[in-house]
Amino acid sequence: MSCTLGEVKNRADLIIYWGGNPAECHPRHFTKYTIMQKGKYVPNGRKGRTMVLVDIRETPSAKAADIFLQVRPGKDFEVLTLLRAIVKGQRIDPRAAAETGLTLEQLTDLADRMKRAKFGVLFFGMGLSMTRGKHMNSAAALTLAAELNAFTKFVAMPMRGHGNVTGADVVLRYTTGYPFGINLCRGYPRFNPGEFSSVDLLVRGDVDATLVLGADPGATMPQPAIDHLARTPTIVLDPKVTHTSRLARVHITTAATGITAPGTVYRMDEVPLPLRPPLKGPYPSDEEVLRRIIAAVRKKPAWEPDPAGVMAG
Amino acid sequence: MAARFLLIPGRTSKQGQQVNVGKDEPAYEAIVTTLTMHADDMAELGVEAGASLRVRTETGEAVFRCQPGNIPRGLLFVPYGPPTCRLMGGDTDGTGMPTSKGWDVEVEPV
Repeated sequence: MSCTLGEVKNRADLIIYWGGNPAECHPRHFTKYTIMQKGKYVPNGRKGRTMVLVDIRETPSAKAADIFLQVRPGKDFEVLTLLRAIVKGQRIDPRAAAETGLTLEQLTDLADRMKRAKFGVLFFGMGLSMTRGKHMNSAAALTLAAELNAFTKFVAMPMRGHGNVTGADVVLRYTTGYPFGINLCRGYPRFNPGEFSSVDLLVRGDVDATLVLGADPGATMPQPAIDHLARTPTIVLDPKVTHTSRLARVHITTAATGITAPGTVYRMDEVPLPLRPPLKGPYPSDEEVLRRIIAAVRKKPAWEPDPAGVMAG
Repeated sequence: MAARFLLIPGRTSKQGQQVNVGKDEPAYEAIVTTLTMHADDMAELGVEAGASLRVRTETGEAVFRCQPGNIPRGLLFVPYGPPTCRLMGGDTDGTGMPTSKGWDVEVEPV
């Protein structure tokens, strides 16, 4: 039910951004893939596409939108559910619509546009997936997109965040079967967000050491998680000094991938893009450092639990 | 007296650029400590542009400089950074992701 950004560029005549601000957070999205480009089946480019922005505040992205729908904070799930009902032809109480900050006419107009579109796409951002309701909001958006396929071709895609977060998900998926929140302690992967995910492990104090790769949780995670990183041995691999490297016991300076080291970055539609470094640098790549750590660990004798069940130290 | 607001942290283009320049720069500090609110809300709080506000959640508190902006009344916007980390709760509701937007906060002039 998703697609590549190339398909969006060549086919989409209705583009909805929900809870995201691509004008600031994904500044090349409009111009390279969505509204501005001429596509194979959208030969008139911008004139052949309709862009709808749904958000709780008027962000700079609203200037690029044909229709801006300002939802009341915390009412995204209700709007999505009402749209699903309207798409199916069910009767809606206008008061239920009014509670969301939108009118029934606005919702009906959007539902009609979605059904009439030749190829519709719903891009959803953190404003939907990381606010109250979280996965329920995302599930409602995905369900709406799936149900619209009874009328036309409709896809949904999350507006992934900075750096190569999609790459982390993709690689973990093809190596373990799961995208994140994976526990390998038993020798095989177990997946349980909320239990094995990094924020939860740190906040609960379940881990007694942390290896940080290509991230700066010291400047992004909740304070209780940062406090635990500072309390326990933390090792950081990063080209730069960061908030996390300052609280870490060990900071190994590594090459900047794509600048002084080769690598692969995954676009938000999961298309892998190889990176060729234009410069040479003195530092090893993350991969090289990890291989050396793995080789050193393999030389150590295997750890055996105490048969009496007593923890050492 | 403290007033209640809904805080919506987010990303901005300037913040994204500054992250790559360096998080130790004064420019980064200025970006992640600047809070945008409706001009009428500022008047109600009795503060002017550039005033310091203490923002408090159940988890912690941080001080921001306020500026008027295009945002609905009752909402606040601030770019993500170390100050918002201090306000963010650690509970992920079983999803693995902490609630990163829509925090109930108390705000008072410093």
